[in-house]
Amino acid sequence: MKSVTFRNLALAALCLLAASLFSVPAHAAGITIQTTPPSVVMGAQYDGAPLTISGTVPEGSDVVLRFTGAPADMHLREKGKLFGLLWMNVGKVSVKNVPNVYLVDSSRPFEQLGAAVTSYRLEGLRDAIEVEEAAKSPDLDIAHELLLLKQGDGLYHESEAGVTLGEVVDGMQSYTATLHIPSALKPGDYRVEAVALRDGSVSGSATAPVQAVLTGFPLWLNNLAFDNGLLYGVMATLIAIFSGLAIGVVFQSKGGAH
Amino acid sequence: MSLDLSLYLPIAGNSVNCLAILGLGGLVGLLSGIFGVGGGFLMTPLLIMLGIPPTVAAASDSNQIVGASTSGTFAHFKLGNVDFKMGLLLLVGGVAGGSLGVQIIKILRALGNADFLISITYVLMLGFVGGYMFLESLQAMRKSSAPKVEEAPKQESRYARAIGKLPFQMDFPRSGVRLSLLMPLLLGVLVGVLAAIMGVGGGFIMVPVMVYLLRMPMHVVVGTSLFQILFTCVNVTIMQSVQNHTVDFVLALLLLIGSSIGAQVGTKVGKKLGGEQLKICLATLVLAVMVKMLYDLLARPDVLLAYMGGH
Repeated sequence: MKSVTFRNLALAALCLLAASLFSVPAHAAGITIQTTPPSVVMGAQYDGAPLTISGTVPEGSDVVLRFTGAPADMHLREKGKLFGLLWMNVGKVSVKNVPNVYLVDSSRPFEQLGAAVTSYRLEGLRDAIEVEEAAKSPDLDIAHELLLLKQGDGLYHESEAGVTLGEVVDGMQSYTATLHIPSALKPGDYRVEAVALRDGSVSGSATAPVQAVLTGFPLWLNNLAFDNGLLYGVMATLIAIFSGLAIGVVFQSKGGAH
Repeated sequence: MSLDLSLYLPIAGNSVNCLAILGLGGLVGLLSGIFGVGGGFLMTPLLIMLGIPPTVAAASDSNQIVGASTSGTFAHFKLGNVDFKMGLLLLVGGVAGGSLGVQIIKILRALGNADFLISITYVLMLGFVGGYMFLESLQAMRKSSAPKVEEAPKQESRYARAIGKLPFQMDFPRSGVRLSLLMPLLLGVLVGVLAAIMGVGGGFIMVPVMVYLLRMPMHVVVGTSLFQILFTCVNVTIMQSVQNHTVDFVLALLLLIGSSIGAQVGTKVGKKLGGEQLKICLATLVLAVMVKMLYDLLARPDVLLAYMGGH
């Protein structure tokens, strides 16, 4: 580990540590990736956060970056028309292999990057998502509606040409981009991946883990709510009653003329 | 953005703007203070629109209503507007009805199509209650401006005679009525069942029930309704915290600060408005929510999939 850190002396201490831990060389090409900050810290003021991703790819490559969570199962309600008139929840849809979050950006507009890039785009998730319990309505495009739903929450986002390519040193080109981590992110383990593309095909990739962790007051509250629900409920009730009374008393003394 | 007003809510799993939540609380609290309804049927959909998951919105709203109705009950108690005897009887009926309603909804869900029944119940109840109150108040307001005609007692007599025959008659001095003990108990059960099916506190059904079926004066109705809602929501808050972990206490506290202040103002506004004006305002509000729900049923949603939870 020490030998790794010495190689990166030029970097600031934090980035240096992050780089040494997270740099994962892939293929012989030596693609690197690192994030600043190394993890997403969710405190009381968290409202989404910028995550800067940087690293190197072989000279002449384009870069696609994506931020994803582990794929999971999802159960959703299907809306459909009842009696040809009323829009209702008409059934349940179960899908597998849906990442909780999916953010993607690239160094050039997607259409200039060839066919290989398609699987990294939002629409590429269509192939990954498996429908386990199908919709009642045969016309319903589940993957399309799911993408719309997630995009509405900001959990899925696709932008292009947001990755900036920098200097070339020893045949390696540096890149950097800032992804906006959505405020609705759940705490947990995520990963960011850099994919190098050359002449329309993928030439290599590297990934780095990113943790989203609660801290401070939100962490305390979350632990209390999940570890001791009864205490939490009673506390919430008592504080509500007390605050209600307190405000009542304040108003009573102010509006004395009544 | 000179001042960062965003706040991260760990249970809801999203961040919100403090001012938006305070304002929302204030608005709903104002209505709650004026009409004696918990405002759950307004607050929950608005919270969902701000990006709070439906289950967290509903549970945190119950927590908020605990505070708001404490504040409201306190204000009405000072004005002598709470009929504790009636409130307790309605509460006992309401708890029994609520448990029954939860079982009914379980059976309906097992049969499928529960959601359809819930929505239709909503629209019909809101339409019926709102429409009836609106017309009734309109007539009363016309009548009071016209020369007085002695016809009201004749209309009421059949219903009055019927409930007069029920056993266990007792006086409710605060409301100034004499009724069978069974009336508030049974009506409490009825409201409890409907409230459980619809997933709301039931204030907007309870108020018309007290006015039209228990013949209580409007101002006592409001105070008593708040008193009854307080207990219902304490129960829901604790149950939700223990079973589903969906109460976001920070969200509730923010809503509470807004709504407690709103409720105090609302109580004073309500006292200035006449009983008939009060009824017609509540009727309009109920009808507006009904129209919104009907619209949602008829218009094509933007996205044809929805997250589980809520109703």
